[in-house]
Amino acid sequence: MNSLDSAPRAHAGWIVIKFGGTSVSTRPRWDTICRIARDWHAQGKRVLIVVSALSGITDKLKAVAEAAGDRVRREALQVEIHARHEAMFTELGLADRATLDYWLSRLAALAVDARAETSQLAWQAEVLALGEQLSSTLGQAYLSAQGLATRWLDAREHLLAQALPNQNAWGCYLSASVPTAPDAALAAALAKQGEVFITQGFMARNTAGETVILGRGGSDTSAAYFGALLKAEKVEIWTDVAGMFSANPRIVPAARLLSRLDYEEAQEIATTGAKVLHPRCLNPVREASVPLAVRDTNRPELAGTEIGASVAAAAPSVKAVSERRGITLISMESIGMWQQVGFLADVFERFKRHGLSIDLISSAETNVTVSLDPSENLVNSDVLSALAADLAEVCRVKVIAPCTAVTLVGRGMRSLLPRLAGVLAEFDLLRVHLVSQSSNNLNLTIVVDEAAATGLVPTLHAALIKTEALRAEDPAVFGPAWSELYAAATHNTEPPWWLTRREELLELGAQATPRYVYDLATVRERARRLRALSAPDRWFYALKANSQRDVLQVIAAQGFGLECVSPGELDIAAELVPAERLLFTPNFAAQPEYAAALARGARVTLDNLHPLQHWGETFRGHEVILRVDLGAGRGHHDKVRTGGAGSKFGLSLDQIEEFRQLARRHDVAVIGLHAHLGSGILDVGHWREVYSQLAALAQRFTRIEAINIGGGLGVPSRADEAQLDLDALDACLAEIKQAYPQFQLWMEPGRYLVAEAGVLLARVNQVKRKGEYCYAGVDTGMNSLIRPALYDAWHEIVNLSRYGEPADTLYQIVGPICESGDVLGSNRRLPECREGDLLLIAQAGAYGATMASQYNLRIPAGESVV
Amino acid sequence: MPLSDPRKAEVFRFVRADYADGEARLVYAFDDDLELVERIVFPQAPALLPERAAAFTTALKLLHLIAGVSYYKAGVPRQIRIDHGALDAQTAELLDALYLHGLGEFAYQNGLDLSECIHFPRAGTAAPAPAPVLGLPTRSLLPVGGGKDSLVSAELLKQHGENTTAVWVGNSPLIAACVAATGLPGLNITRQLAPELFEYNKAGAWNGHIPVTAINSAILVVAALLYGYDTVVFSNERSASSATLEYDGRAVNHQWSKGWEFEQMLAAWVRAQVAADLNYCSLLRPLSELAVTRLFARELRYDAVFSSCNRNFRILGPRPVDRWCGQCPKCHFVFLALAPFVPKPRLLNIFGRNLLDDESQQQGFDALLEFREHKPFECVGEGRESRAALQALSQRPEWREDALVARFRSVVLPQLDATELALEPLLQPAGPHAVPPRLAGILDAYR
Repeated sequence: MNSLDSAPRAHAGWIVIKFGGTSVSTRPRWDTICRIARDWHAQGKRVLIVVSALSGITDKLKAVAEAAGDRVRREALQVEIHARHEAMFTELGLADRATLDYWLSRLAALAVDARAETSQLAWQAEVLALGEQLSSTLGQAYLSAQGLATRWLDAREHLLAQALPNQNAWGCYLSASVPTAPDAALAAALAKQGEVFITQGFMARNTAGETVILGRGGSDTSAAYFGALLKAEKVEIWTDVAGMFSANPRIVPAARLLSRLDYEEAQEIATTGAKVLHPRCLNPVREASVPLAVRDTNRPELAGTEIGASVAAAAPSVKAVSERRGITLISMESIGMWQQVGFLADVFERFKRHGLSIDLISSAETNVTVSLDPSENLVNSDVLSALAADLAEVCRVKVIAPCTAVTLVGRGMRSLLPRLAGVLAEFDLLRVHLVSQSSNNLNLTIVVDEAAATGLVPTLHAALIKTEALRAEDPAVFGPAWSELYAAATHNTEPPWWLTRREELLELGAQATPRYVYDLATVRERARRLRALSAPDRWFYALKANSQRDVLQVIAAQGFGLECVSPGELDIAAELVPAERLLFTPNFAAQPEYAAALARGARVTLDNLHPLQHWGETFRGHEVILRVDLGAGRGHHDKVRTGGAGSKFGLSLDQIEEFRQLARRHDVAVIGLHAHLGSGILDVGHWREVYSQLAALAQRFTRIEAINIGGGLGVPSRADEAQLDLDALDACLAEIKQAYPQFQLWMEPGRYLVAEAGVLLARVNQVKRKGEYCYAGVDTGMNSLIRPALYDAWHEIVNLSRYGEPADTLYQIVGPICESGDVLGSNRRLPECREGDLLLIAQAGAYGATMASQYNLRIPAGESVV
Repeated sequence: MPLSDPRKAEVFRFVRADYADGEARLVYAFDDDLELVERIVFPQAPALLPERAAAFTTALKLLHLIAGVSYYKAGVPRQIRIDHGALDAQTAELLDALYLHGLGEFAYQNGLDLSECIHFPRAGTAAPAPAPVLGLPTRSLLPVGGGKDSLVSAELLKQHGENTTAVWVGNSPLIAACVAATGLPGLNITRQLAPELFEYNKAGAWNGHIPVTAINSAILVVAALLYGYDTVVFSNERSASSATLEYDGRAVNHQWSKGWEFEQMLAAWVRAQVAADLNYCSLLRPLSELAVTRLFARELRYDAVFSSCNRNFRILGPRPVDRWCGQCPKCHFVFLALAPFVPKPRLLNIFGRNLLDDESQQQGFDALLEFREHKPFECVGEGRESRAALQALSQRPEWREDALVARFRSVVLPQLDATELALEPLLQPAGPHAVPPRLAGILDAYR
């Protein structure tokens, strides 16, 4: 293609592309900018490039602007800034330094300006603007040198700021706003001057012609202003992530890229927590109906997030879940008359008087509760105290803090309410202070105690996907998970064992189904993985997860003790390990069971006062371990939460002293403390918390030798979930152990060792089509594997007979049990299933066969090993 | 080899103490059972200056005697023997007092009478010759514990321009983070208890609270001579001197070794027997807990690192709940004592929750108020300080509706003497102190 072909026509559209600090700080990054601009230009577009200052420069300029009266410091900073740009000039291989020198001399002059001594706002704005003036100058020279003729545009000539009502002087100069509307004359005038332009983000002029600054997120906002002025075909914000995500990827690696949002949704997400886009930049493009995209400079092949007008036909879906911490609620109880006229006016006037701006509001007949966002002002000054005193004149005030506001965003929120039932169940044990649902139907915000909110967003995000309130499978809205894009190393990329041994499994399946098959090599490998951890001193395998004898033998051979919860389990375990490796941790067991376990020499765990109160003699002279309830339970489902007052496990902390006295009275030595708060936990911080709390508690005892922090080591059920990071776990356990070297550390995993080692093979009996649903019925169901019905557990299901064929049919995989909950998996995309096909249900090695029943008098699946 | 029950021992022996290459080894034994060796490591210890050698030996001897309390209490034998000879009267009195009062809570909890057992052997010899002036460098060692008190001292010493080193004993990431936040140079002394102590615990040893501040004080006196400091500045305040309860006719004070009586005895002993120019003092002595919290409130830099909680105190976590358990008397007290002086949102950020709006904490706060409960065995302020703080909060609209503040107004307040609830008198510095003249200017900051 020659350059004439690619020259834009007279009415060619405009594309505005914006690059932040890291994108303009190295020569390779400038090459990327050049390539992107050239691509658009080659497509016949006129291009306006908006740039930020080089990384770190704005902070330095800010330091100059704030170093009132400290001329020495200002000059030192000026020298650093100068040197940075000289280095960039050299790196870019530029020759003509006249323009660069002009701006650098401006900097030198401003640093010694008389106005500097008093930090005049107009002077500060001029100082701050220099970063972009310098970077755009370097960029213009470099791009032109690369053969992309680029014109330098002074942003201040085109962006005219207007003071907002009530805006103070600081805001007028350093957080200015620019009203913009498409200006065809400007677009035409510029079109005459050239095809590719570069300009500065972050700045504008005021009506007096002075330089002003747009404030936080300023360069994005500049791009949006120019997009609106030029009525661009598109504004692209190029950054270092692929776009906006359905949750903060740092706490939810499974967060999905949002491929498409409407302006209002994007605004809501940006306002309620996402940092990638400043909320201020959405209004200008929405008003001008200009689409805006967020894209990753390092991954230009990704389309990123496209933001545009709402599509009427789109199915409602939650798009994102976000949280804001440090929220303060002010609850005001009216003490005046019912429906007192002017009550709200009285109340809000007082907030205004103290300069506090309200975010959420909810009201009842006699109560109004509002939220305040966190601010330095609230923490460092007495403003809240003063506000409360003023409010107390008209109402009863209660300050509720610190709170976390969790917001679900998505158009059509109200129509999603039925699906949200299961999601809202996550708020079960939390104190909810306020619920707010905006009348524009875009969001649902729930405010809870901050202390209880840890881990809530990842849980909610998973629940939203599970209930399909967040339609993650809809490619029109959602892209890949963040972990898939950026953290490929953290999740398992190895093929599962059952895939490499597919032929063998098909043969086994041909002999008899249903059937559990366990891969002993996988069990051994998981056991070795845990034994390789340095911090734990002893490991016990919770044998209730899988008590198949060959499996137990492999685990015992790796040096694990066996944790038993019944005499039956003790019987099996005692055949495999010596008595000192037996741990008996029953719950509400009868007296003879304890007596028998002690007689056998097993270590016994108590979790109630009752045994010592009523059967003290049984334990006289023995050592016991005490299981306590540390409070908040955790886990992937209600029924696997084993902490909190609603849980039947563990001794309440306020009964510990009584337990100690009973133990002393009966000469029982408490030699260990144990807590187990839940299952399927992937967050390393959980064990840190349990360990440090138990160790601190142990100091109140005199004979504690061991801290047993239980198990619960999670095994992600979906491929895109991050694996438990064992190295991180070991490091955080080691840190606590260093502080409490006197205690041995014990752990008792179950599921971690065996879940992935086991699969359930079942054969298709019948298929059925009913309305839009396709059912594939197999020869066993909840009688063999109850976890999907009991815990809503998700197990991967594949058609082993047709593995690799296109998965084009959506199935409900069900069993033959007369129970509507007999569903092994819903909405699974599989190759078309036929009678006799062998289906494989993965991760069935834990709590599969051990929880099987003969319900309906159907014999559950047998067990074999490979 | 399993050890025998130390409670059956006849004699507790101070076997010997030596020092080499930055490591002090303190050796003890029950009867003729195996030797228990505690090691204390002084990092990058300089060579000991000859003119300080005699003083150092004396200080090490005292450290040996004081640190023995951890082992002595495991068996509480009827006889104490010092293998290298009996003590002079001043030393023996100091140790008798320390073991008797410092183990007061231990005795109460275990139902023991210690007065029969604790007699340090004393020789009829005259008091040793007065200690000389050593010309120690004029600078201060400040032990930092991770709680508010030593951080207040750090700020005061910095403002005063005192050349100060922050010291901490043991291995605590939380304290290390606090030391880093002070911006002062740090010195981390480590201490390793004899591992056999844990074996003794298995064999049935007595257990309970020991006067750890006394041990740290003795370690710091040794450190001052080794590294060259003329002042050891602790941060114990006035309320540390008040008793927790009476038991068997004797006052039992959980924090006796943080009290004025011990400070005076040890300071006098150091000046008489170690070095006439070595000061041992507590900078916050004239202050109440409330006065200390008011000073603490002035500085924001420690909000995200400090913790006074004794349950979670060794671990540094990113979230407030990692540092504050929210259940123990220390958490209750520090929350209450800071509340009148810091903006509510800041306090709630520090703790991550509002303990005064949690009805399940009622009993804990009642104990602080000494309302239907006795003061807890913890280093917390006096009952009248807690009562005054809650009274102040009950007057503040941003606090008065919180569950426990509202309860205080309706249930507790009517039963209290209204004339004794003012906050202001409790903030006035009062009582004796032993702050050396060089640092006396700091006391002005209290007013």
